[in-house]
Amino acid sequence: MQLLVNALIAGSLAALLSAGLSLVYGVLGVFNLALGQFALTGGYVTWWLHVSIGLPLPVSILGGVIVAAIVTWIAFEVSVAPFYRRHVFLPLVTTIAFSMILDALILLLFQERPYSIIAVKHSLHFAGVYISVEQIFLIAFTIVFLCAVAWVLHSTSLGRKIRATVQHSDAARSLGISSALLHRSVFIASGILAALGGIYLGIDQNLTPQLGFPLTIKAYAALIAGGKDNFWGTIVCAYLIALLEQLAIGLPWWGGDYIAAGFQSVVALLFIIVVLLLKPRGLFSGLRRAI
Amino acid sequence: MDFFLHLVVTIGLWIPISMGYTLLFGKGQVMHFGPIGVSVACGYAIFVTLGATGSYIAGIAMGILVGTAVSLIFAWLALRLENDGLGVMSIAVHLAAMVIVLNWTDVTRGALGIPRIPRMPFLETLPMFALAVTLASLFWIALFVWADRSALGRQMQALSESESFAKAMGVSRAKVHTIAFVLLGLAIVSDNVFFAQYIHLLHPNDYHFPTFIFLLAIVVAGKPGSMVGAVLSSILLVLLREGLRFIDLPISVLGPMRLLLFGVILLTAVYVRRDTLFPQKRTV
Repeated sequence: MQLLVNALIAGSLAALLSAGLSLVYGVLGVFNLALGQFALTGGYVTWWLHVSIGLPLPVSILGGVIVAAIVTWIAFEVSVAPFYRRHVFLPLVTTIAFSMILDALILLLFQERPYSIIAVKHSLHFAGVYISVEQIFLIAFTIVFLCAVAWVLHSTSLGRKIRATVQHSDAARSLGISSALLHRSVFIASGILAALGGIYLGIDQNLTPQLGFPLTIKAYAALIAGGKDNFWGTIVCAYLIALLEQLAIGLPWWGGDYIAAGFQSVVALLFIIVVLLLKPRGLFSGLRRAI
Repeated sequence: MDFFLHLVVTIGLWIPISMGYTLLFGKGQVMHFGPIGVSVACGYAIFVTLGATGSYIAGIAMGILVGTAVSLIFAWLALRLENDGLGVMSIAVHLAAMVIVLNWTDVTRGALGIPRIPRMPFLETLPMFALAVTLASLFWIALFVWADRSALGRQMQALSESESFAKAMGVSRAKVHTIAFVLLGLAIVSDNVFFAQYIHLLHPNDYHFPTFIFLLAIVVAGKPGSMVGAVLSSILLVLLREGLRFIDLPISVLGPMRLLLFGVILLTAVYVRRDTLFPQKRTV
């Protein structure tokens, strides 16, 4: 039971990150490798506003999200917009470069020390499960937020435009959907989702500058395993990978021995390799509508 | 004089990997972002074996074995995945290799690295070391220039321009890309044999992502696919990186400043080369 709860906590973080990735890939057709750094930007700015400046947590979170949205917008204009219409692979290289620049700035401003947005957590114990109040709130928030994204995608004009562009961008453009505005909006939305993930991480655990790429890769593992432009497949795989990671280190293996917790992140990679062996286009790729 | 020889060694160590990488990434346009992942696997294979057996021959043999095996895994992923998916997955394999190195402390000593690595008997002086690295580097330059101008180079380019047309002409993507991956892997083994000996230390910090950014910056700045460009760019960027040592900054600032500089160089180089890095497909 504890492993399931832990998987729910870790999966919620991965779901926030990979949801944004899935939208960006679906609409723009590009991979954004600076996503983890957008998450760290949101987390670090929230930490700075809350712990260093002393602002209330909700205001600090809002500040973190706004700064991350601005950084994401700058990243789009600098490392995506001049390139993605020429070739969709170019942003893969340029977002790596931008992620290095952000990593350097984070190191210069915050150094390598780990930071936690909330120092003292309020732990609960029931039915043999340990969970903090903050974690319950974070899980509930993620589920509500993803439901809100689902509502936007399926019940609003913006959502219909996004889905139309995902299904056939040329046809959508011929129907008058402004791709330039939509591309910027979706990219910034993915940065906001990532920033929320970073704030989540800063509240639940610690923020360190080295987390950027592991966060990005975990989100991409869910994206590739779920079928690259299948939003809900990505979310399901985010939780599935988190569960596998917890089971890998939480259950006894050969002769009752446990796998060291440090190896946990290799599980996502192994999962992807197995998925690619069985279904090279992802677990849910066949469920997508095609024209 | 010692600093000049140090520059010769450092440039000589970067040339083989940058030429191998420009063949694969530049000419073949294969989004392989894991050469440093291959490098970490080779480095530890060589020097863990050396530590266990005391024999450089056994260490190098193990390095070649592991380098080839990891390169074949990447080649398999390249054949299995779309190009952008390969880019992400190769980073994932690199990170996984780092996780294993950092956590398998019984064998690798984790974050402490492996210190006191002995040099080969004939490489104990700096001039001899510089000479050996230069000779190895010249061998790889000759090999990669030959590979680039041979059928392999032409087939790599044909596959990157139009895979279906290349296949129709009888070019086997599996064969060509596997050879290119293995060649790069062997160049990486060669680099690793020298690098840890040179600084008497094998440390995981030398295999983190900024090292890959430096490699990518060399290849993109030197014109992707150009062997001459890779050599010249290696020389210029190594000189720039080593020159930064003379700026009077604390080490906690110098590292991030270096990262910032090479991030900006890479971004600028891609901007300048945006029409040639991944050119539009030719149409008939």
